[in-house]
Amino acid sequence: MEGKNSRDYTAIFFCRQIDPDENTNRRALEKQLGRAIRFFPLPCSGRIEALHFLMAVETGAEKVYLVTCPEGSCRYSQGNVRAGKRLEYARGLLREIGLSAECLEITRAPGSLPLSIDTIARGLLGLPRKVK
Amino acid sequence: MISAERKPFEEIKSSIGRYKKILIVGCGTCVAECAAGGEKEVALLATQLRIDAARRRRKIEVKEMTLDRQCVYEFIDQLTPVAEQYEVILSLGCGAGVQAVAEVLPRTHIIPALNTTTIAETREAGVWLEDCRGCGDCKLDYFADICPITRCAKGLFNGPCGGSKDGRCEADPDSPCAWQLILDRLSATGRTESIDEVYPPANWSKMQGKGPRKIIREDQRA
Repeated sequence: MEGKNSRDYTAIFFCRQIDPDENTNRRALEKQLGRAIRFFPLPCSGRIEALHFLMAVETGAEKVYLVTCPEGSCRYSQGNVRAGKRLEYARGLLREIGLSAECLEITRAPGSLPLSIDTIARGLLGLPRKVK
Repeated sequence: MISAERKPFEEIKSSIGRYKKILIVGCGTCVAECAAGGEKEVALLATQLRIDAARRRRKIEVKEMTLDRQCVYEFIDQLTPVAEQYEVILSLGCGAGVQAVAEVLPRTHIIPALNTTTIAETREAGVWLEDCRGCGDCKLDYFADICPITRCAKGLFNGPCGGSKDGRCEADPDSPCAWQLILDRLSATGRTESIDEVYPPANWSKMQGKGPRKIIREDQRA
């Protein structure tokens, strides 16, 4: 998980509605992984912009995840749908400069909300669950 | 508004060539509305250029600026103290903006980063539709506010071609038949009798054939 240099990290953008206690729940992973992970809570995943993805890549993110609410659960109706379109647009911009678009990945939070962002992130990173 | 699209990245990169100090200038009016050249798009292009340069182990310096309007000298003047610090200006303005900046900064290389297309409306979020081609002899009132020059693929002035199907244009099935729209709107506004009028061809000399058009208003001059 630790990058070859301090710039390599995994960025996780996510909707705050997924985990109302995200401010607490992400601390354990942040402490465990240090600069190798960065969380970016959003008021809605639909507020993501292509620029956010590109800036994450520019600042050294090797992998960028966007976690949206499950289908039909967006409190702003289409935010999680719009998020997918923004991600695709950002992928196109990365392809334009010869980068693999696969460094950007979108995933829906599994199950019904709320869910712990810690659990979701550990799933994405392939890490064992936090021991309570 | 004037609509435009950003040029392909490779074309922009090729235009920049070996320049290392680049000032990217956007415009906050028309091209911002069509998501081609506003502040966000300036930031996106700047980030792409920096990422690309880093991958090629090339050092570049990119500054971002967005003017309210790139076609008005009072706004372009904001570039004057900044431009000399950079080797080139990459303009995300429309064709008028690029040329206006070039007029103000005659010794600076200005590179266009957009392909200016037309005069358009925002039909819905993310969709910009050509509505006007600037013919200089507007007859929208005759055609129920639907321009046959722009919206009829054949530019017909006196009724439909007869090739439309289900209200869609024969030449471009993605588009509605302009004459269907005209007829519908004449009917909706109680003016169907005007369909019998015969209109002469447009006076194309108002649009082309004489070099750049100019409008002068003495009462507006300094």
